[in-house]
Amino acid sequence: MRRLAGAQEAGLVLVIVLIGVILAIRGGTKQKQFRIEVAQSATVVEYYADGTEGEPGARPLPQVAGWNVTTDSGTETYAKNNGYSYNAGQNAVFGRKTVNKFLDQENLVLVAKDASFIAIMAVGMTAVIILAGIDLSVGAIYGLAALIGAFALKNVVGDDAGLLVSVPVGIGVCCLVGAACGAANGAMIVGLRVHPFVITLGTMAAYRGIIFVLSKGQSVGQFPESFTSGFFKAEIAGVYPVPVIVMLLVGAVGVFLLSKTVVGRQVYAVGGNETAAKYAGIPVGRVKIIVYTLLGLLAGLSAAVYLGYLGAAEPNAGMAYELKVIAATVIGGASLMGGRGSAMGAVLGAIVIQLIDNGMIILGVDQAYNQIVMGVAIIIAVVIDQAKTRLAPKG
Amino acid sequence: MSVTLADSNNNEFLRVEGVSKRFGITQALSDVSVSFRSGEVHALMGENGAGKSTLGKAIAGLHKPDTGTIALDGKQLRLGSIDDAFAAGVRIVHQELAQCPNLSVAENLCLHDLPCSKLGTVDFDEMIKRAQDLVHRLDPAIDVRKPLGELSPGKRQICQIAASLEDGARRGGSSPRVIVFDEPTSSLSIAEADRLGEIVRELAEQGLTVIYVSHRMGEIFSCCDRVTVLRDGRFVATNNVSEIDEATLVEQMIGKRIVTPTGKIESETSEAEALQELSGIDSAHAPPGSVVLKAESISSPGTLHKISLEVRAGEVLGVGGLVGAGRSELLAAIFGLDSKATGTVTVGQRSLPMRDVRAAIKAGIGLVPEDRRHEGLFFQLGVDENIVAPRMPALANRKFPFGLRRRQAEMGVVNQRVEKFHVKTASTSSKPGELSGGNQQKLLIARWMGKETKVLLLDEPTRGIDVGTKAEVYKLIRKAVDGGLAVVLVSSEMPELLALSDRIMVLADGVCTGTLEGDEMTQTGVLTLATQESAAAL
Repeated sequence: MRRLAGAQEAGLVLVIVLIGVILAIRGGTKQKQFRIEVAQSATVVEYYADGTEGEPGARPLPQVAGWNVTTDSGTETYAKNNGYSYNAGQNAVFGRKTVNKFLDQENLVLVAKDASFIAIMAVGMTAVIILAGIDLSVGAIYGLAALIGAFALKNVVGDDAGLLVSVPVGIGVCCLVGAACGAANGAMIVGLRVHPFVITLGTMAAYRGIIFVLSKGQSVGQFPESFTSGFFKAEIAGVYPVPVIVMLLVGAVGVFLLSKTVVGRQVYAVGGNETAAKYAGIPVGRVKIIVYTLLGLLAGLSAAVYLGYLGAAEPNAGMAYELKVIAATVIGGASLMGGRGSAMGAVLGAIVIQLIDNGMIILGVDQAYNQIVMGVAIIIAVVIDQAKTRLAPKG
Repeated sequence: MSVTLADSNNNEFLRVEGVSKRFGITQALSDVSVSFRSGEVHALMGENGAGKSTLGKAIAGLHKPDTGTIALDGKQLRLGSIDDAFAAGVRIVHQELAQCPNLSVAENLCLHDLPCSKLGTVDFDEMIKRAQDLVHRLDPAIDVRKPLGELSPGKRQICQIAASLEDGARRGGSSPRVIVFDEPTSSLSIAEADRLGEIVRELAEQGLTVIYVSHRMGEIFSCCDRVTVLRDGRFVATNNVSEIDEATLVEQMIGKRIVTPTGKIESETSEAEALQELSGIDSAHAPPGSVVLKAESISSPGTLHKISLEVRAGEVLGVGGLVGAGRSELLAAIFGLDSKATGTVTVGQRSLPMRDVRAAIKAGIGLVPEDRRHEGLFFQLGVDENIVAPRMPALANRKFPFGLRRRQAEMGVVNQRVEKFHVKTASTSSKPGELSGGNQQKLLIARWMGKETKVLLLDEPTRGIDVGTKAEVYKLIRKAVDGGLAVVLVSSEMPELLALSDRIMVLADGVCTGTLEGDEMTQTGVLTLATQESAAAL
């Protein structure tokens, strides 16, 4: 089975590469404009092919290899091929270049960021689905955690707080709110013996309602910079890698918890055969509550990343995320019948979902079709999964 | 086909000839021939698995026999066709109350053919009239407008009989001529069962053939005319009830008998002895040690009534009884699975909280459930985790959040148990689905084969496995018992129960009707106690 699971994940990687290649080839290119602000005192220096400096401000010659912009903060060299053009007349340098729509650095960062938000929650959702449960309220938990986290950051922490205050408080509040919501779901599912679908359908509406009551429909922003550009949107080597790092960490912890801990294995046991689990002395109720709480906690963590990245909590943040999160876990190989699924699959599933989303934009498909394609993708994933189960040899 | 009349006073109406039926490896019926008359109540009797229910269902067209013929009034029925049987006037009243409790009695009765008005809507007046016509013949007190679920089990049973009395003319069939009752009283109170008996007699007096499948002695003698006994899927005899006594009937159900000089019927235990020999069990093994498990006045509403038992180390206590007597329920209650159970359970000196499975496991009780597919195994997990599931928390590093597994310790346990209980598997990570049925069962028992288990509760430990594996399982269980394990064994297979048990406690209708020891442990003894009607109404 472990080999089979490996095959499942290898298959997903293949799908991801395939979609990437298709998008890179079929997506075409676009003209990308850029503009470099130049300080009043800036000088633009051209270089000739032999490396010697030309006259500042002079018209470049065809064989010119590059130009330098000297601003207050230093000198940067820009290549002059690929259709670059510039106009150094108005305190700014304008450039234009042709880039691949998909492989463009900005696009890839966008996909990675969006995938991270989904993947962090999908790892928790996988555990819930292995348990043969479901949680429709993740999107609402995400939104509520973000909102309360935003309140805390804005009103309690203060604008000029340092990294060591804002980050722990922001993450802590978001995770705490998320975990509390998740624990409430779990406790009601176990205590009231109601199907999780019904309980979380109810809490989805209730949590979303709380968001609107608390926010009065307004978005909450203005956080300490140490939380946003200082941490979650920190620029390293020209990209914003923190959301992806968080996603990878969560994925790794998820893989570890599900395979190496007692509770992790009990999750598989309960999901595979709840009666047998009871007969084997597994505390079924406790396992369920733990799993729903963890999913809530991860929704809170995802909300913290979102807050830090975007710098504000919107009242409709996380709307319809349950669809994407559940789709990611199902595409990642979790069985809605319970007993099967993996954290790594969930992360890969989230990337697939986000690539599909991104691909629609790149291929110029109307955004309105987005939901249709997402729905079809879920159904295809489930059908493939079932066909595989049927074809698998049985003893 | 030619119907041969067996004797002159035989107004034979329904004839079953040479019927055989096989389910997988079980031969449920082999070459059974029975003749039924019109206007009689004809009982089908036998032990669990004797084939009496299968025969009843074959007559009603629910099962298709592999060979043989069934003829009604000289006309042959198409085998395995419910429609054909219905058209000919054969009806069946099921053992289970398979109805829709949320719908009204009238709707349940007319569900297959709801009367419609001209507009295509349901004609409720017509429906209620039809339902009343049927039900009030049997019990005028039943309000057919009420939801079925609000009726007592007895009244529901009456509604089901009423449904079977429906004239088939509307569906192009005959009026009812043969009615099969499949264990009709299994969920009824004594008063309700009495009323049912009256109804059955009335139906027979109206000229119907009533086929009455039951294992309750009392009912046979109070309302049946003739009784046919089946054993292991074979026909044994058809008797006039007026000419037979209980002991003879029991004897027919069990098999070959020898009568001792004292006149006491002694079962021939050769089969049990053969089993013992095959599995190398020495019936004269070491005397049992101190009491390990003590359960006192275990009760559960509707299933168990004040049952007490004691098991010693190195002893097997058998629990006998018929299906529905409460044997599995007793094990579940001791193990803490029954959320309504009361009483006390003590392991060694320690008294256990009731209704707490984990406390039971911690104290050293293990349970091998009856249904390994649904209650026992995790088919998505490997052999290793299936074995180690109850032990995993104890083996783990619990300082770590969620308990860090200790794979090496786990694998040690797994390997030891796979070896000790001879589980044949390609690897310890194979899925249970890749194992044979016998090995799945061994896997399930192996789960508890460690020093931490002091008492093992076995519920039908060899169901559906082949003879060779059975013998191996017996040998391994006995070996564990000789090593000091205490076992409570529930089995419907008489030879198994007799071969493995040191003592046998018999249940009937949730009450302990007696405990047999030494020479008293015979099939006759067990069956006599098992068919006793309990005085204590639940």
